[in-house]
Amino acid sequence: MRVKVLFFGRLKDVVGHSEESLEVLQASTIEQLFALHTERMPELAKYRSSLVASRNQEFASWDTPLHAGDEIAFLPPVSGG
Amino acid sequence: MTTPLDDDIFLLVHEPIDLPHLVRHVRAPTDGAIVTFDGFVRNLSHNRSTLYLDYEAYESMALAKMREIGQQLHAKYAIHRVAIVHRLGRLEIGETSVFIAVSAPHRAAAFEACRYAIDTLKRTVPIWKKEYFEDGAVWAEGELPPAPVATPRAKPAS
Repeated sequence: MRVKVLFFGRLKDVVGHSEESLEVLQASTIEQLFALHTERMPELAKYRSSLVASRNQEFASWDTPLHAGDEIAFLPPVSGG
Repeated sequence: MTTPLDDDIFLLVHEPIDLPHLVRHVRAPTDGAIVTFDGFVRNLSHNRSTLYLDYEAYESMALAKMREIGQQLHAKYAIHRVAIVHRLGRLEIGETSVFIAVSAPHRAAAFEACRYAIDTLKRTVPIWKKEYFEDGAVWAEGELPPAPVATPRAKPAS
C-alpha cells in the first residue's frame, strides 16, 4: 500500500526532504514505518523518543495501523508561539 | 454562548499580522471585554543574541488544531468570539508571531480563555521555529504534544 510520509523541523534536516510517497510492504504500524527509515538512516533513531506521530492530521499512537492513502507525519517537539 | 464558529478566525499567514483588524473583528455590542495576547520575537534566546526566527508549520494539521482550540474555548468559557493567527516564515526581532483575541461579555472569561488558548497552542499546534544567531542556527527546544497511548481511536481510512 502507498502512504505519504511527512517530516518537519530538525527531522526534515536529517532526512533531507519534507515529504515522500512510499510503497509500504513490510510495515503495518506507524512504529514499523519509522523503523524502515531508521534502517536507511540510523541517525534518525536518536530522535525516536522525542517525537510524536500523526495519522491524517490527528495525533496517533505508535502502534496505530497503517491504511492505504494515509498521511503519516513525524513531529518533533513543537515550538510555535 | 451560541455564536456560530464561523465568526471566529483561525489563520496561518506569511505576512505581518493585522492586529487592529482582529481586535475589531471580535468586538460586538453585546461584549464588555476583549483580552489579547501578542507574542513577538525576542532579541535573546538563552542569553544569545537572536538575529531572526524562521517558523514552519504542518499547515493542514496546525489549522485543524487551532480550530480545535477555538471549539474548546467556546465549550469551556462564556466567550463571544475568538481570533487566533500565527505567522510563518522569517520574522525579525519585535515582529508578532502569534496573536490571539477573545471577546466576552465579562472580563474573567476572556482572560481565562486567552491564557488557555496560548498555552494550548504552544503544546499542541504543529509549528516549529528555527533560531538564527551570528554563528549558526538551531531548532528551538519545543514541547512534546500529549501522545495518545493506545490505538482504540484509530479508525480505518474512509
